[in-house]
Amino acid sequence: MSQALVAGVVVGGIYGLMALGIVLVYKGARVLHFGQGEIGTLALFVAWWVVDERQGLGQPWLLGAAAAVVAAAAVSLVFERLVVARMVEASRLAIGVATVGLLLFLFSLELKLWGASPKYLAPPIEGLGPRVAGLHVSPTQVLALVSAAAIGLGLTAFLRRTDFGLGVLGAAQDPAAARLVGVPLARVSVFTWVVAGVLAAVAALLVEPTIGVFTAGFMTRFFVFALAAALIGGLTSLPGAFAGGIVVGILDQTVQYWSLGVPVPGLSVLAVFALILLVLLVRPQGLLGRAAA
Amino acid sequence: MSSPIVSIKGLRAGFGPTTVLHGVDLAVGPAEVAVLLGLNGAGKSVTLRVAAGLIPAWAGTVRLGGEDVTTLPAEARVGRGMAHVTQGRHVFPGLTVEENLRLGAYTLRRRDRSRYAAVLDSVLDRFPRLADRRRQLAGTMSGGEQAMLAVGRALMANPRVILVDEPSAGLAPAAADALVETLRGVHRSGVAMLLVEQNVTFALDLADTVHVMRQGTVVHSAPRQRVDQDRLTAELGIGRLLKGGTR
Ligand SMILES: Nc1ncnc2c1ncn2[C@@H]1O[C@H](COP(=O)(O)OP(=O)(O)OP(=O)(O)O)[C@@H](O)[C@H]1O
Ligand SMILES: [Mg+2]
Repeated sequence: MSQALVAGVVVGGIYGLMALGIVLVYKGARVLHFGQGEIGTLALFVAWWVVDERQGLGQPWLLGAAAAVVAAAAVSLVFERLVVARMVEASRLAIGVATVGLLLFLFSLELKLWGASPKYLAPPIEGLGPRVAGLHVSPTQVLALVSAAAIGLGLTAFLRRTDFGLGVLGAAQDPAAARLVGVPLARVSVFTWVVAGVLAAVAALLVEPTIGVFTAGFMTRFFVFALAAALIGGLTSLPGAFAGGIVVGILDQTVQYWSLGVPVPGLSVLAVFALILLVLLVRPQGLLGRAAA
Repeated sequence: MSSPIVSIKGLRAGFGPTTVLHGVDLAVGPAEVAVLLGLNGAGKSVTLRVAAGLIPAWAGTVRLGGEDVTTLPAEARVGRGMAHVTQGRHVFPGLTVEENLRLGAYTLRRRDRSRYAAVLDSVLDRFPRLADRRRQLAGTMSGGEQAMLAVGRALMANPRVILVDEPSAGLAPAAADALVETLRGVHRSGVAMLLVEQNVTFALDLADTVHVMRQGTVVHSAPRQRVDQDRLTAELGIGRLLKGGTR
């Protein structure tokens, strides 16, 4: 049981990272960014291609990770400039549909470029790692939790403490008022989408070693969990999203733990959906969200 | 009068197929208060929003201190000295009073961060209520306090001219009085003002020049002392305007 707790906190931190991206885009553009997960998968493929000894370039992991982050940022930037920026007047739903388009496009692109066979990306740090509550926590998992927390805190500090960050928050609350004080909305939008993409890439790099292998669509499966985390946090609260990630991670791992051997696949997904429903019914503004904010 | 700080000529604008402004002409002199009067729907707010760059002009020009800013985006006009307090005074509800003010100085801080502290002090001096509530979320403040914050935030850009749209709307008489006094103080400190105000007594009290709009054009402009009272009465559809005369 405590093993599930530890594992839950670790994957929860990663769901939390992706949820931060979802919340950032939702606050900034009032859009659910369905393509976010698949940007993470694409980044993973890029990292694999840079790192893999036989089919790729055989470069060190760090270089692969850097390439992955750059690729995620580039895809997000192109999508923002080419699609989102041209849809300023469009309904939010239309932009949401466009992000589904991005998801499908990236999915096909991955299949086309790299095929359907599972890929394996070596973890950044080898070895067994410390034992916590009778469970080996791999060094990558420790790294994942630490970086997830650090990125969450860093992002929150950036948004609150810098002028541009405050401008991002202001623009989310009242775009016209933000323009009138001089906040460049175009740059805010680029920032929002690019950071969401980068968060997805980092989450993908951090979660992959725990799973072992990946294929096209890999991160979109986690998107559901991240969305649940964001919803539980209230969809507009960054700390809430992160906390939501931990809650969802623990639920996910606990259900997996108890249902071990039960021949019903997807029980943990079912549990997460039940949790989403419960939150929406009992506390629609989320755990930390403000009512009607 | 020396060359105007804001000069609007032949301004046309609208939404989709609807033309709202049919060639608006008006000017605001340096350190002058120009008041824009008119019935609901006359196009006062749209005039201010086009001047500030929130709505594109279809034709005509907007000049700021002699520079043609007609095609500049709103965010660029602030940096050149034009601030706009919109109708409904949109503060950032989820940010604190101080964060709102800091965002107001967004362009000032980019140009010359060293002046920020002094400007903040001067705005907090002008609005002691805001000084007491620096850490309060703007969305939780009273209407009067939000009106003060909206004006204070605009002043944080250290503007040469401020466009203010119905600042006293929805305020209790005491709060409205206080706000008018503050605007008078702002004016005295040398900031020009283009003011839309439903309360004609307030408006004429502050005004140097009065412009009256009807259906998207300015139909009457005059210095306050020479405003055609009958004309004003007819345009605005109101009775006695100036109880006790003007100050
Ligand atoms: N966003 C918009 N879309 C379409 N029409 C608009 C829009 N904003 C204003 N209008 C129209 O433009 C006209 C002028 O509106 P405006 O807000 O400038 O009036 P106003 O003089 O400020 O009136 P009030 O005193 O009621 O504030 C109105 O007929 C209004 O319906
Ligand atoms: Mg109006």
